[in-house]
Amino acid sequence: MQKNILHLDLDTFFVSCERLIDSRLQHRPLLVGGIGDRGVVAACSYETRAFGVHSGMSMKVARRLCPEAVVIKGNSGIYTKYSHLVTEIIKEKVPLFEKASVDEFYADLTGMDKFYGCYKYASELRQQIIKESGLPISFGLSANKIVSKVATGEAKPNNQLQIDSGFEKSFLAPLSIRKIPSVGEKTYQTLRNLGVDKVAVIQQMPVEMMISALGANGRTIWKRANGIDNPPIIPFYERKSISTERTFTKDTIDVVQLRTTIFAMAESLAYQLRRGEKLAGTISVKIRYSDFNTYSKQIKIPYSSADHIIIPKVLELFDKLYQRRLLIRLVGVKISDIVTGNYQINLFDDTEEMLSLYNAMDTIRGRYGELSVMRASSMGAKTIGRFQNPFGGEPPVLLAHRKH
Amino acid sequence: MKFIVSSTYLLKQLQVLGGVINSSNTLPILDNFLFDIDHSKLTVSASDLETTMSSVLDIESDSEGSVAIPARLLLDTLKTFPEQPLTFVIEDNNTVEISSNHGKYALAYADGAEFPKAITLEDPSSTTISGDILATAISKTIFAAGNDDLRPVMSGVFFQFSTDNLTFVATDAHKLVKYTREDVSATQQAEFIMPKKPLTLLKGILAASDENVTIEYNDSNAKFTFENTVLVCRLIDGKYPNYEAVIPKENPNKLSIDRSQFLSSVKRVSIFSNKTTHQIRLKIAGAELNISAEDIDYSNKAEERLTCDYQGDDMQIGFNSRFLTEMLNNLNADEVQLEMSMPNRAGILTPVDGLDEGEHVTMLVMPVMLNS
Repeated sequence: MQKNILHLDLDTFFVSCERLIDSRLQHRPLLVGGIGDRGVVAACSYETRAFGVHSGMSMKVARRLCPEAVVIKGNSGIYTKYSHLVTEIIKEKVPLFEKASVDEFYADLTGMDKFYGCYKYASELRQQIIKESGLPISFGLSANKIVSKVATGEAKPNNQLQIDSGFEKSFLAPLSIRKIPSVGEKTYQTLRNLGVDKVAVIQQMPVEMMISALGANGRTIWKRANGIDNPPIIPFYERKSISTERTFTKDTIDVVQLRTTIFAMAESLAYQLRRGEKLAGTISVKIRYSDFNTYSKQIKIPYSSADHIIIPKVLELFDKLYQRRLLIRLVGVKISDIVTGNYQINLFDDTEEMLSLYNAMDTIRGRYGELSVMRASSMGAKTIGRFQNPFGGEPPVLLAHRKH
Repeated sequence: MKFIVSSTYLLKQLQVLGGVINSSNTLPILDNFLFDIDHSKLTVSASDLETTMSSVLDIESDSEGSVAIPARLLLDTLKTFPEQPLTFVIEDNNTVEISSNHGKYALAYADGAEFPKAITLEDPSSTTISGDILATAISKTIFAAGNDDLRPVMSGVFFQFSTDNLTFVATDAHKLVKYTREDVSATQQAEFIMPKKPLTLLKGILAASDENVTIEYNDSNAKFTFENTVLVCRLIDGKYPNYEAVIPKENPNKLSIDRSQFLSSVKRVSIFSNKTTHQIRLKIAGAELNISAEDIDYSNKAEERLTCDYQGDDMQIGFNSRFLTEMLNNLNADEVQLEMSMPNRAGILTPVDGLDEGEHVTMLVMPVMLNS
């Protein structure tokens, strides 16, 4: 059956949010991201793009390219709030949708054409979002997710585009191969070295040639180039792991600071688990030295969500991992192998006082926020924390440069 | 060297002893049975270094000596024979020749001297109890013992002998069983931790036997002697946790319920619980017990209501359903009592009826933390 898949993408989402909060930022070059020298650009306004700025770029470079830009640190809490607002509108209006990230949605409008006409319906939805949220949004409408996503990219900024059934191939043909989702820097280089620059060339190649050049991925890219890849809409994201990491403003060898940071990360993640009524079976710790060599180590534990089990394991892993007497650039903690359940109390190790204390701390956090109460050992670390429940079925808030 | 023995008689004994042999051994000699022939007595032994078990068989022979014969090969062969006399001839060229009514079979053997010697207990204390009591005590407790290599003491069953009674305890830190017999006692106080493997073997052999078992023990080993069999094993070294301290004394909330009804409800509901954590929730209010489970990942959920006899405040408590079913399965009472105090403290499960005179069973199960 002919499908109608809509792709919606909020234009320069973080920038638009900041402009909503502070209207003085309208029509001015704006950069959102880490403000330190180590920061990266998470989002940049269209004004800055003329200077060669793009998201994922080092903030230092971006500032040099566009010195007149206003730089804002960004607040994921606010973006999440606006993202929710938009999600609610879409949820109300469409039968099946996928939230692919904070600012991107797919909706299956198949069958709606009988009553309204898909394009008209999508246009009305877009107008409603713009009116109710105040955020600019673009959409692409076609028979599958990939073509719709590319169409949105072509429609931007703040516009819409429909690719009629049967015209997918000719729509894609003149575009650069960079525009195909999943073609990253590396694949792009490989294909350019083969003399492939436009999608049209891939369309003319036999699929076997793509497979021999790129492996299994070649088939996917070939199908996408021909507009016939049709991945399903995923209405709910199941989190398989939760993690946090920090790049220090200055590389450090201060073990107390490192341990404090790791400790705070473990405490925060364990709280996320308990809040989502989850247990974890695997813990891993990552460190990156100043020479960019990255090491990580993981262990399996009996399913748990208790601080006194997870924190010591994390510190133990860190001590095992930190062997080279070198400056450290980044540390991170990840918890995976997550299942639904509550902490199984131990007869000998857990005292009633401790369990009541945990309960009380979690209740306080639930009411006054995650940072309202913490262990003294965590207090030295700069705010590590997230503001949304990671198990709500939504995709994680990802910075622009980490999307692929 | 030569002896004659009945095939089924030998097989029966060897099958029991075969339970000692591990499927993979670091010492190849341990893949063998040790045959020690002393005229009309044959002592067959099997060992895994920790546990050594031997049985004495009557045979027809007039020679002496010992050989180690490959266990798997011998068992596989014996299994196929109908009852008949078998003649074993131990040749000097390191082969044993077995002659049956059907033909001849030759197996390579090793010198019996290579087989590790069984430990002899120095200065042991001893107690005698009936085999079926020991078997019951083992089967009532062993399921609750843990598997954690990091806490070896909890991987065994704690034997606590006194002049008044015998107590057997097993726990994995999430559940605990204490089984006491007041109708038997020891001559002096003693405590030791038995590993699981020899207990499983003993349970199998002693079930429904009225033979008396003599238990000898010192600080490092224990020896069980009955009929024609001796089992010697190394004890688990270490201090058993102070389990008495964790059994809650004040439990104002008491639930009495039909065991089989409770068990089948828990089993049914737990099918709908999370496949990894098996957690279920009990809600008790008035004379109604509500059992529910939910697997959010697959949108499965179940709820059952049972009438019960309940005294105490309304409460909600979460349990791993595996623990509850194991415990309820292990009891044979018609009615059980579950005593509780708080949702984060242990529940105590005891049978209301079905116990012998002087027999006491206390089962503890730790709940899971429920978000209020």
